[in-house]
Amino acid sequence: MNYTFHWRPAFRALPEMLAGSLVTLQIAVLSMVIGIAIAVLLAVMTGSKSSWLRGIAATWIEVARNTPALFQIYIAYFGLGQIGIHLDSYLALLAGITFNNAGYLAETFRGGLRAVPQTQVRAARSLGFGPVAAFRLIVLPQLFRAVFHPMTNQMVWAILMTSLGVVVGVSTDLTGVTQELNVRTFRTFEYFAIAAVLYYLIAKVVTLGARLIAWRLFRY
Amino acid sequence: MRIRTTIAVAAIGLALSAPAAFADKLDDIIASGVLRCAVVLDFPPMGSRDANNEPIGFDVDTCNDLAAALGVEPEYVETPFPDRIPALVSGRADVGVASTSDTLERAKTIGFSIPYFAFEMVVLTKEGADIDSYESLKGHKMGSVSGTFEAIRLEGDVDGWADANGSFTPYQTQADVFLALSQGQIDATVVTSTVANAAANSGDFEGFVVGGKAPYDIDYVGLIALREEYGLLNYLDLFVNQQIRTGRYAELYAKWIGSDEPPDLTIPGVYR
Repeated sequence: MNYTFHWRPAFRALPEMLAGSLVTLQIAVLSMVIGIAIAVLLAVMTGSKSSWLRGIAATWIEVARNTPALFQIYIAYFGLGQIGIHLDSYLALLAGITFNNAGYLAETFRGGLRAVPQTQVRAARSLGFGPVAAFRLIVLPQLFRAVFHPMTNQMVWAILMTSLGVVVGVSTDLTGVTQELNVRTFRTFEYFAIAAVLYYLIAKVVTLGARLIAWRLFRY
Repeated sequence: MRIRTTIAVAAIGLALSAPAAFADKLDDIIASGVLRCAVVLDFPPMGSRDANNEPIGFDVDTCNDLAAALGVEPEYVETPFPDRIPALVSGRADVGVASTSDTLERAKTIGFSIPYFAFEMVVLTKEGADIDSYESLKGHKMGSVSGTFEAIRLEGDVDGWADANGSFTPYQTQADVFLALSQGQIDATVVTSTVANAAANSGDFEGFVVGGKAPYDIDYVGLIALREEYGLLNYLDLFVNQQIRTGRYAELYAKWIGSDEPPDLTIPGVYR
C-alpha cells in the first residue's frame, strides 16, 4: 500500500478524541443504568399472570434481540421523526441502546431469577417478609450475583454500540469525533487506529473495574 | 574458468541492477482496460440512480468521458461522501469523480486536478420555517453532510452565532439530510444550488424551498487521485482542459443542470 502515516497531526487531535471517549462512556453507562431498571421490570413481567404484561415484555425482548442495533437507533431517530416525535441525536442513540440493553438483559435476568430457588421466597414470606421486601432483600442480591458477568459483557457491548450514533448525527462521541476528523483531513488510517485503541482501552478498563466491584460485592 | 564465472556473475549483477521498468497508475489503468471511478450517487444531478437503478449524472458522464479518452471501460464504485478518499487510498478506485472540494487540508492526503466544476451554495429549507435568507438561519436547527465544504462553513457560523436555540447536526449522507429536513429534525441545510434545485423540483420532498444564497466563496471541485500519481494527475488536468475546450463541459451542464451559463472554472489574477 502506498500510504505514508502522518502521526504527528493525528496525535494532536488526541485531547479531542479523549473528550469523545468520555461521551462514549457516559452514553454507555446511562444506557446500562436505565436498561437494567427496565430489564428487571421486563423479567418480572415475563413471569406475570397477566397475558398483557407478558405480551409487552415478550414483544420488547423479541424485537430488541432479533433486529440490528443500528436499525433500532435509526428507528429511534428517523422512525419517530416520521410521526412527529423529534428526539435529538444524543437521545435517539441513548434510547436505541437502552432498548437493546433492556431486551438482552431481561433474558439474562429471567435466567438469573430461576437460579434463586422459589423455596427461599416462601421461607422469607413465612418469616414475615412482605412480597416486595422478599424480592428486594432475598431475590435481587442473589440475582445480581448470578448475572453480574453477563451484565459486564452487555456493558462492553453497549460501549461498542455507541459507535452507531454517527448514522443519526451524533458528533460528540468517540466515533463522531473520529469521523469528523476523518472527513476534514482524510487521514483515515491514523484516526481510526487511535479510535480502535481507545475503544479497546475503555472496554478493558470497564471489564477490570467490573471485576474489582464483583470482588468487593460478591465475596463469600 | 574462474574468469568466465566472474563475468557471468557480473553480467547477472548488471542485469539485476538495471533500472526496473516502473508502471504507474496510468499504465495500470490502460493495461487493465478498466477505469474504476469513485462516484457519489445520492447527490443529484451530479450523481444518482435512474429508475433502473443505473448510475447517472454529471459525474457519471464525466467518468464515462474519461474512460473513453483512456480507451478503457468505466466501472463505478459508489462511495458516500466520507468514503471517497479512503476508497482511493485503499485501492478500491482509481480516480474520484465525486465533486470533491479542493481544500488544502485534503491536499495533504490526496492529489487534485484543476477544477472540473464549481458550486454556489444556497439555503434549502421547508415552507413555514420562517427562513428567507442566510442571516435568518440564526437560532434554527441546521444540518448538513459531515465534512463537506458547506458543512464546515455552516458549522463554523452556527458556532459563531452562539445562539442557544441554534444547532448543527452532521449526517453521513445527503439522503439522511433530506430525510431529517422533511421530518423537521432540522429546519434548514446549506447545499449546492444544483442539489437544492433538483431536490425542490423533484416532487419527492413536499414543501422544500430554496431560501437564498449562502455568502461563501465559490466551491471549486476537482477530480482526485493518489497524491503521488503525477502521471495520472497530469492526465486528469489535460482531460478537464479538453472537456471545456471541446464544449463537452457546456454540453453536460445543459444536459444535467440547466440552460444558463455554466460556471467559470478559472480564478482571475492567479495561475492554475
